[in-house]
Amino acid sequence: MALEDYKEDCTDCSRCSYCKWIPLDHIKSAKFARACPSIEYCGFQAYSLGGRLSVGLSLLEGRIGYNEELKNIVWECQMDGACDLSDKICRYNIRGLEVMREMRFKLVEDGQTLHQHKPYIDSLHKEQNMMIEPRARRGKWADGLDVKNLTKEKGAVVFHAGCRYSYDKGLQKKARAAVTLLRDAGVDIGVMGENESCCGGRAYQWGYRKDLNAFARKNTKAWTAAGVKTVVTPCAECYYTFKRLYPEIGFTFEVIHVSEYIEFLIKKGKIKLSTNVPLTVTYHDPCHLGRLGEPYVPWQGTKEKIYGQIPVWKPSRPRYTGAWGVYDAPRNVLKSISGLTLLEMERTREYAWCCGAGGGVLEAYSDFATWTAAERLTEARATGAEAIVTACPWCERNFTDTVKSQDEKMQVYDIIDLVQMAL
Amino acid sequence: MALSTDAYRALEDIVGSKYISQDPAVMDSYAYQWLAETVRPNQSKFMPRPEAALLPGSTKEVQAIVKICNKYKIRFKAYSTGWYFYGAPFSEGVIQLDMRRLDRVLEIDEKNMFAVIEPYAIAGVVQAEVMKRGLNCTVTGAGASCSTLVGATCYHGSSGTSIYTGELRENLLGAEWVMPNGEILRTGSLGSGCGWFCAEGPGPSTRGIVRGALGARGGLGVYTKCAVKLSAWPGPTEYPIEGTVPAYRSPLPSNFRAYTVAFKDWDSLFESYYRLYDNEIAYYAHRQWIMLGADLGPAFWMLYQNPTKSLDDIEEFMRKREVKQVTKEMRYSYQLVLVGMSQRDIEYKEKVLEQILKETGGWKVKKWLEPEMEQFSLLYLLRMGKKNLNFVYTGGWIGNYMQAGTPDFTNKYEPLAEDTIKKFQSKGLLVDCGSDSMMGCVGSIGGGGQCGLEQFGFYDVADKESTAAAIEWMKYCLQEEAKHNIPPGKEGMFLAVGKTHEELQQDLAKQAAIHTWQRKIKQAVDPNNLGDRMYPTLDES
Repeated sequence: MALEDYKEDCTDCSRCSYCKWIPLDHIKSAKFARACPSIEYCGFQAYSLGGRLSVGLSLLEGRIGYNEELKNIVWECQMDGACDLSDKICRYNIRGLEVMREMRFKLVEDGQTLHQHKPYIDSLHKEQNMMIEPRARRGKWADGLDVKNLTKEKGAVVFHAGCRYSYDKGLQKKARAAVTLLRDAGVDIGVMGENESCCGGRAYQWGYRKDLNAFARKNTKAWTAAGVKTVVTPCAECYYTFKRLYPEIGFTFEVIHVSEYIEFLIKKGKIKLSTNVPLTVTYHDPCHLGRLGEPYVPWQGTKEKIYGQIPVWKPSRPRYTGAWGVYDAPRNVLKSISGLTLLEMERTREYAWCCGAGGGVLEAYSDFATWTAAERLTEARATGAEAIVTACPWCERNFTDTVKSQDEKMQVYDIIDLVQMAL
Repeated sequence: MALSTDAYRALEDIVGSKYISQDPAVMDSYAYQWLAETVRPNQSKFMPRPEAALLPGSTKEVQAIVKICNKYKIRFKAYSTGWYFYGAPFSEGVIQLDMRRLDRVLEIDEKNMFAVIEPYAIAGVVQAEVMKRGLNCTVTGAGASCSTLVGATCYHGSSGTSIYTGELRENLLGAEWVMPNGEILRTGSLGSGCGWFCAEGPGPSTRGIVRGALGARGGLGVYTKCAVKLSAWPGPTEYPIEGTVPAYRSPLPSNFRAYTVAFKDWDSLFESYYRLYDNEIAYYAHRQWIMLGADLGPAFWMLYQNPTKSLDDIEEFMRKREVKQVTKEMRYSYQLVLVGMSQRDIEYKEKVLEQILKETGGWKVKKWLEPEMEQFSLLYLLRMGKKNLNFVYTGGWIGNYMQAGTPDFTNKYEPLAEDTIKKFQSKGLLVDCGSDSMMGCVGSIGGGGQCGLEQFGFYDVADKESTAAAIEWMKYCLQEEAKHNIPPGKEGMFLAVGKTHEELQQDLAKQAAIHTWQRKIKQAVDPNNLGDRMYPTLDES
């Protein structure tokens, strides 16, 4: 696909501004009615989905050329999909998030990259990770764990830690806890050690289209060689990449987020939560697990017009409305913990506010990432919760750093932490 | 005319460098507008590109900007949420004021039932805030994403609830207006320091003057605050929401009832309008579902309830026996919400409705009595959070024939509207959804007495031939209206945007008195002629 293939998506925008708000039916207050961090932080119309569609059209029509502002318009956005979801309440045919991604691809392919992203992309190409860390240290997080190394022996289930859990020293213990939890529950799980590679999903979302293919091929080849049937990951971004993007380019495995697996094991009685955890928490839906975490549906079709002028797809094109993301599994896990009280934020499930870390924003616009997280922490605090729980290391890292920088009192946990506390 | 460096710096000094831009991509995001394709060369989606865009953060900043505009003779245009080409510059050399930083609900006076709001407080937000106090506001017919202030000050703001809550222009109380000359005028009771409670005084009453005949739509200064009258809301403090995205629905308490009522013909339908006015039982009364066409609309609303389905599946739905039955049953129909202030009240209103239906031969459409369909209706109609579905078919539509008048008058032009669209639908140039795609208020002013129907014609914005047909259809409607002695509908306002000055003057001369007075008003408050022709004036010559 190319931006040209999305021209009708651009002209179809009715400029209604739904993309700036959570689904309007769900608005409960002025304070937490907004959906899009980008337009809220940057201000001008161009920094909304509607604005970006018009900028895309303007590029296609040759009305504008490349400059620094255009790069900001294209990249100062977490690609969290909240705009796309709100837009699709009423508009079936506009593929807003895809257009925004396509604009990134185009700029990268035309050599119009962000210099802030360069070290991370270089690291991906040289060290196979997005953390600017040596490849040789990738497997260190699992040192001493009694777990299969799937590069040496076969196994049906691989635990893919992802770049953040593999290298972030503050978070590595959670990956260790997750593997231990699953292993102790009887899951025949293994890891790829230093041969685990980045999923390629973050680079893809930053506009580096080809990297997805390269890393999909590499990872799936390694998994196939190890006899893997199921991929378990604690990272929402990896989950999205494996569940939604890999099948799109022909690589299909069973993909389970660790919160789903834990929920399953609790139901089966394999994990018993017997310790009281007297804590009031709120759960933050990671974008890539929630509204973007819907499974890929294979489809090929053509466009035609019916009833004179209605453009439709034959056969019916799958809808990605955010309806079928992973929302209940993490909540069910939390509800299984005695003593724990779960409160919901105003913006929740498919219309949750982003943590701020996605789309290359954390790496290129760190103030914006912090501001976005701070907004979410304010919302979490408004529920009366003492802690915010999430299911993605990128969210957790951004929240934790924001709490520190803003002298916040809110505690930040991954769902794995709470399960471990409740054992 | 390009902005001079001095002028740009002066504007930048007011808002700060973060809130002003001249970047071409940013400017194009302001130039892009729905309906631009109907008036711009080569059906371009872009109106003229602004010279700069500014995001003012206070009334003081707005005033300072307008003063600079007067100093350097820069034309300016403000918008709130920016929907419609009315919000965009109509010519080169205009700066755009994007009011999105002024977004607060400043005050809710529960006792006196009004709210003070800023331009970017959208209806969905205002409603959410006032519901917490047992109150409701008029959600403009364009939906919850639109500015409440704009409906109240610059346009009409009619709504499905107008019959109970009033049209927004009726609900305007005190207001703060930065006039095009840079002076601030506080209107109504606000102007004499008495608070926000009244539009007409004790203080300057300008309600009719600044709106003009049709609403100045950004063409005559900038409203920075206003108060709007609120109404009773005997419901929960927030909508309980159920259902899967996008088919959200709300199970409101039993004092809320939503119906699709239908009749055997237009005469009976319009007769029921009079009876609703007389009996004052309606909280919401509007012809909404048929906007998507009497033939195709029912199928769409039924498929929308299924989150796994999409527009791609509409043919499948059209083949269903149940859909065929519902389509037949609701051919002459509209939507009605009854709200009881008490259980006795809802029981009384139900009885009155039964009597009206009995006397007019009407019925409640069964499908819409199913709990989930009723809950969908309640949320859709009262929040208006899915109103953008009027774009669902093709991304473009025009609303022709919109008139305000009695039900008898509306009944008179309805057949003409159906005849004129058939010609274009049968050629496949507009969506063939049924010639009755008439949408509008049962009562567009408080208490009823006035209504209107707007003929929706759907054209594919990505298709030049279809867009051209939509333009042709608008022109054809104007001719037919003139032939039948019916005033021009909304299409006249749309096409006026693309007319030359001379063409427009010919139109305005047909109502010389109002447009001459508007010129005199404009000369008084906009001596440098910095607003645009959304506040239309007839030349002296």
